[in-house]
Amino acid sequence: MRPFTYVAAGTPKEALKAAANSSASHYLGGGTNLLDLMKEDVERPEQIVEVADLDLAQVKKNKGGGYTIGATLSNSATANHPDVRNNYPLLSMTILAAATVQIRNMATNGGNLLQRTRCPYFYETSMPCNKREPGSGCGALNGSNAGHAIFGWSESCVATNPSDMSIALAALDASVRVQAPDGSSRLIPFNDFHRLPGDQPEKDTTLRPHELVLAIELPAPIYKDHYYYLKIRERSSYAFALISVAAGLEIKNDRITKVGLALGGVAHKPWKLTSAEEFLVGKAPTEENFTQAATLALKDAKTLEHNKYKVPMSEKAIARALAQAYARKA
Amino acid sequence: MKTNNIKGTGEAINRVDGRLKVTGQATYAGEFSVKNKVYAQGVNSTIAKGKITSIDVTEALAQPGVIEVITYQNALKLKGHEKDLPAIDNTTPMAVLQSPDVHYYGEYVALVVAETIEQAQYACRLVKIEYAKEEALTDFAAAKSTAIKPAAPEDYFRGDVEKGLAEADETLEVTYVTPIEHHHPMELHTAIATWMGDEVEIYASQQMIDNSVKTIANTFDIPEKNIRVISPFIGGGFGSKLQTHRHVTLAVMAAKMTGRPVHVTVTRTQMFTNTTMRQRNEQKMRLGATKDGKLTALAHETLSHTSTYEQYQEPCGTVSKMLYATPNNEVKHRLMPLNLQTPFAMRAPGEAPGSFALESAMDEMAWKLGMDPIEFRIKNDTQTDPSNGKPFSSRLLNECLRIGADKMGWENRPKTPRSRREGSWLVGYGVSAASRASPYQESAAKVILRAKGGEVHATVQTDATDIGTGTYSILAQTAAEYLQIPIERITVELGDSRFPVTPGSGGSWGAASFSMGVKVACDNVLKELKEKVGMSEDAQANVAQLLLDNNLATFEATGTATPDEGRAGYSVFSFGANFTEVWVNEHTGMFRIKRMVNVSSAGKILNPKTAYGQILGGLTMGAGMVIAEQTKVEPNFGNFITRSFADYHVPVNLDMANVEVIFLPEEDKIANAMGIKGVGELGITGVASAIANAIFNATGKRFRDLPITPEKMVMAEVEAGVV
Repeated sequence: MRPFTYVAAGTPKEALKAAANSSASHYLGGGTNLLDLMKEDVERPEQIVEVADLDLAQVKKNKGGGYTIGATLSNSATANHPDVRNNYPLLSMTILAAATVQIRNMATNGGNLLQRTRCPYFYETSMPCNKREPGSGCGALNGSNAGHAIFGWSESCVATNPSDMSIALAALDASVRVQAPDGSSRLIPFNDFHRLPGDQPEKDTTLRPHELVLAIELPAPIYKDHYYYLKIRERSSYAFALISVAAGLEIKNDRITKVGLALGGVAHKPWKLTSAEEFLVGKAPTEENFTQAATLALKDAKTLEHNKYKVPMSEKAIARALAQAYARKA
Repeated sequence: MKTNNIKGTGEAINRVDGRLKVTGQATYAGEFSVKNKVYAQGVNSTIAKGKITSIDVTEALAQPGVIEVITYQNALKLKGHEKDLPAIDNTTPMAVLQSPDVHYYGEYVALVVAETIEQAQYACRLVKIEYAKEEALTDFAAAKSTAIKPAAPEDYFRGDVEKGLAEADETLEVTYVTPIEHHHPMELHTAIATWMGDEVEIYASQQMIDNSVKTIANTFDIPEKNIRVISPFIGGGFGSKLQTHRHVTLAVMAAKMTGRPVHVTVTRTQMFTNTTMRQRNEQKMRLGATKDGKLTALAHETLSHTSTYEQYQEPCGTVSKMLYATPNNEVKHRLMPLNLQTPFAMRAPGEAPGSFALESAMDEMAWKLGMDPIEFRIKNDTQTDPSNGKPFSSRLLNECLRIGADKMGWENRPKTPRSRREGSWLVGYGVSAASRASPYQESAAKVILRAKGGEVHATVQTDATDIGTGTYSILAQTAAEYLQIPIERITVELGDSRFPVTPGSGGSWGAASFSMGVKVACDNVLKELKEKVGMSEDAQANVAQLLLDNNLATFEATGTATPDEGRAGYSVFSFGANFTEVWVNEHTGMFRIKRMVNVSSAGKILNPKTAYGQILGGLTMGAGMVIAEQTKVEPNFGNFITRSFADYHVPVNLDMANVEVIFLPEEDKIANAMGIKGVGELGITGVASAIANAIFNATGKRFRDLPITPEKMVMAEVEAGVV
């Protein structure tokens, strides 16, 4: 195997300091993605800074009424935490639709945000991939692209983000708290955390060099009554989404007052359906309105040779997820 | 004489090797500790066709722990194929690293030998190979003009299909497609080879020990007696371990070249490219039938692919020759040489994809005729094999269909497609018939009796294998029954080429052949013991008592079972019927198999528990064919874009139904003296069509192209004629 140095960090400060010492340093959380990629020779870090033991595994209530969910808390612990279950059931439901119990037990929240695409061209080192090897080309653009993007892709990359959790976080309008090696910290709105590929598909996120994810911050509890995560996949569990939808509704006097809606499996980042959200606010929660919102959401989709199915599948899934969210406690 | 604790055949005992397995004491090929062992890892080609123009091993060789890098430039010279595109079998030589030619993406082009597996794997990435790339042919559609008539099977004609179609009231012409599928047993293919002078000993995960010895002898041109193959436990095979694949050649070669025992493990990704596969099949079906449901014609034409250096034709059409009575029948196979690896037998070769085509076409015709698909099948039943005029030794297909229908509540099925809803779910029922040849082959065993503290213990030895199927258990049961010695005193030893020869595990002949071999050895040990002590052959005696009474410490005998001539006058098949209830979500296109009922008529069931496991495994694999299993070929590079279990989806628990398996009580004494037929491959046969037929019944959408993914479900239209 390729040699690398290993540092076990006890505090964020130690982690940041160690990371700054190497240009090819990776933070290691649960390892459910990074270690696989190292075995495949896709990721070739010179240094691993293990951050799994940092004291960031809490769920805390904030002054503003929202909650902070620590980066090193496992996906399982997050989904099953009483505060998350009670206040953000959409997030719990979404996490539990991901991967397997074993993987969720290992995977951390911080790592989940940073998991890399499952595009097979990215994984197979004998094939071109601009994300893995900038300038080598995109094999999927005119290749096997049934699982690839219909929004926001570029000629250099048509990969999708595989995270389930991120779809819920996009719907919930979460933010990500990160810290830089100089000790300063900043809050990145979720929609700005992941980026579109453009001509730099090797960059999945807007994180700056060595920045460390400390926590996910959630707004005040929302969509407690009307929520649904719909995941369409090739088998009943343990498969990435072909299409997934996170939907949350706030309803008052039979009118929709607020909507959180995001689509997974369609873009290089969680795809927030802003125009559909705006369309639904103030309307009645009817099948007709849900269907119209779905049509609106897919208006600008741009398919590739083998993923045309994603448009009708997304439309059905969005309408269905909204209907399920509404029916949940109606 | 029979005591309660004999636990003979027919009893549903737990696996006798179960404790060893769950406590980690069952030693699989790759787990044997061999002194001084080193590790080797194969390097795979990254082009689909062309020639190696240069190889630079300098950097790889310079790595710590690296002992040798083997390429075609320094490999041992091995025996290659004597002709172009030879038809392969279980003993075909498996030469490797013999030329700079590359035939497919993923072919072995080098082997790195190192002290540790990590060192070998790392150095593999440092072997620099350059190629002169040539245009590869990997596109099924583009290759159709290259199709050839395979060496086997021959085209088959009975009557006149065109005439039969002309006489029909209803005709059907449809094509069914099944994708490339991979066996993927849980245990990776592996081999550890050790040379001792001129003799080589190999621990390898192989289904057929004797054929493995023969392959290695053929490949290295050495005497069979110099080769020992050991494979006591095997973590699944499904046909992928019938042949002795090239990783075994590599281990034997590298051990010879380095003078050290060499351990080669095939990685999960290499399991896609270096341990065979089931190829894609396109099956064109033409059926004609009268209004009252008699088949007037049945034509089954299969188009498959093979490699450019060997040929294997899956006999998909065989099932259409024998399952239904029709005066006019035509079965053809055609083969396209592509730049993909050579395919080979995968669970129920022929029947698994062939029955999907036939049993789906039967369902389509029944729908056209407005008949109950069960009645349509019964109407075309035959007790004589139409392909050879021989009576079936037993054929209880109608009984399987009727009993299954009763268990399933078939009468309450939705009689028209797309007519039953449960909330967002469309509900459908499906049925299919199943048939699978029950071969029985010469098989030998040895029985050794030992007196120990007033008890007699017996050891059974054969080179048969247990690929997870339960061979240890059924042979212990057979020996217990025919020796009348309690099963706790029976030890079964398998999977060693020093033991008496069997055909090995494959083709659903294992249970019948191995058990018969053990029975004959048990019969012989009693007979020979009587002779030894001067007792008449007809006298009643218990073998254990005889040993004790005569103060003998040990006694042994061998036996060989051979099919008797009486069997040759019959067609011997197992039969079955599959029933499914499938719920399809109309919003997501995902479906759930809610219930499966399988009724099997498979002769005497030696152990209902392990036989159930066999059928359940077959049903699951059949469900996999419909749910998601497919290996995709990348259109521009010609490699498999599905390269791990993250891409190649097999069913998960949640996908599988409430499964009920019923074995009809039967002993087919024409098949063999113990009345045993094959069960392993029967379980997968017809399953895919029973599910696809239920999906049609649920949705009115007919899928002729497996697997039936949510993608296909969302894009498909409801068939014309369905309300």
